[in-house]
Amino acid sequence: MKIYTGTGDRGKTSLFSGERLFKNNARIDAYGDIDELNSILGALTAHFSDEKALIEEMRQIQSDLMQLSAWLATTPDSALIESLAEISTEQIAFLEKAIDRLQKGLPVLKGFILPGGHITAAWAHVARTVCRRSERKVLPLLNNLPEGKAAEQYRKSLVYLNRLSDYLFVLARHCNHIHGISDKLWKR
Amino acid sequence: MKTGVQTYTVTLLKRKWLSKKTFEIFLSLPPAFTFKPGQRISLILDGHERDYSIVSAPQESELTLCIRMVTGGKLSALLSVADIGISISFNGPCGYFTYKPSSRPAVFVATGTGIAPFCSMARSGISGFTILHGVGLSDDLYYASQLRQSARKYIPCLSGSKELPANAFPGKVTQYLERHLTPGAYDFYLCGLSKMIRDVTHLIDVRFPESLVYTELFY
Repeated sequence: MKIYTGTGDRGKTSLFSGERLFKNNARIDAYGDIDELNSILGALTAHFSDEKALIEEMRQIQSDLMQLSAWLATTPDSALIESLAEISTEQIAFLEKAIDRLQKGLPVLKGFILPGGHITAAWAHVARTVCRRSERKVLPLLNNLPEGKAAEQYRKSLVYLNRLSDYLFVLARHCNHIHGISDKLWKR
Repeated sequence: MKTGVQTYTVTLLKRKWLSKKTFEIFLSLPPAFTFKPGQRISLILDGHERDYSIVSAPQESELTLCIRMVTGGKLSALLSVADIGISISFNGPCGYFTYKPSSRPAVFVATGTGIAPFCSMARSGISGFTILHGVGLSDDLYYASQLRQSARKYIPCLSGSKELPANAFPGKVTQYLERHLTPGAYDFYLCGLSKMIRDVTHLIDVRFPESLVYTELFY
């Protein structure tokens, strides 16, 4: 299938809800960062070989991020928000359970760690920082947003991204741990 | 987004030629299949797969598709000669190119068989829209009488014909929009080949910047 139309050649793009916006608009910037995060998770997953449970987990998170992007690509007053699947508390609970599971086998953390180690841990740290940036980009979209379904979903997105950042931090440590690499502590 | 895509196997019931290169196929409607006007299905036959927008309305008893023979197009060639009664599979429904009621006037713009989703909308009871249908020759103005009944204004745009039917515009859809559509805020729905979608979108950005644009790309 041909994927290019050239409609964005002059710096504008279309939202799912039909508005034409410049590509540096805050809304586009926010879901652009989530797209970047999703791609980094893809790169991270490409380095997993035998970790089937983690691969499955990653696929679920990537789908969730597509869902978050759809909310951001739809203006809150559009009737199209009714066609979007709502972000559920179960999706957030899924991350919390995963964090608890991964953390069980890890040594106690005694300070700040330097991002890096095994390639999968390094990618997980990159993903974590982009996840934090996504959070910072979604936050201003809540300003002046009237109460309603969209505002509720944006708040859920912020919770999801906050939890995902924590998950990625623990995942990075887990990736080092299963490969026999110790996290390097920051020495002042 | 909420999706309900499933695979169905149906029967080819009938074929009807609309012009030299374009024909309709009628498929049996699976009991569990529902769709919204403007959505498409992905048709599968002999290992070939291609998306087609649905022409018929959800309440009709058969599923109708409008197919144009394209150079090198394997599925369109197969469907043009396929035996009536054979089984065909499809995945669907897909897509979000559905009508969104709003206070802005709706302007539908189609080229060629890109008219299909607008037919489904009109046959479902959507009315009061302006519709432009860009084709090379007047033979390809299939569905004109159906669309005239529902549209506030139906404008055939003929870019390759010297003989023009009544009320036709001699030129491309972009030229009509540039010369005759009053500046303002509209809900544009564009369906057709990428060049039309690109040219019309650029025109909207300049001339109708407060408008919404929904697109469905045919390739």
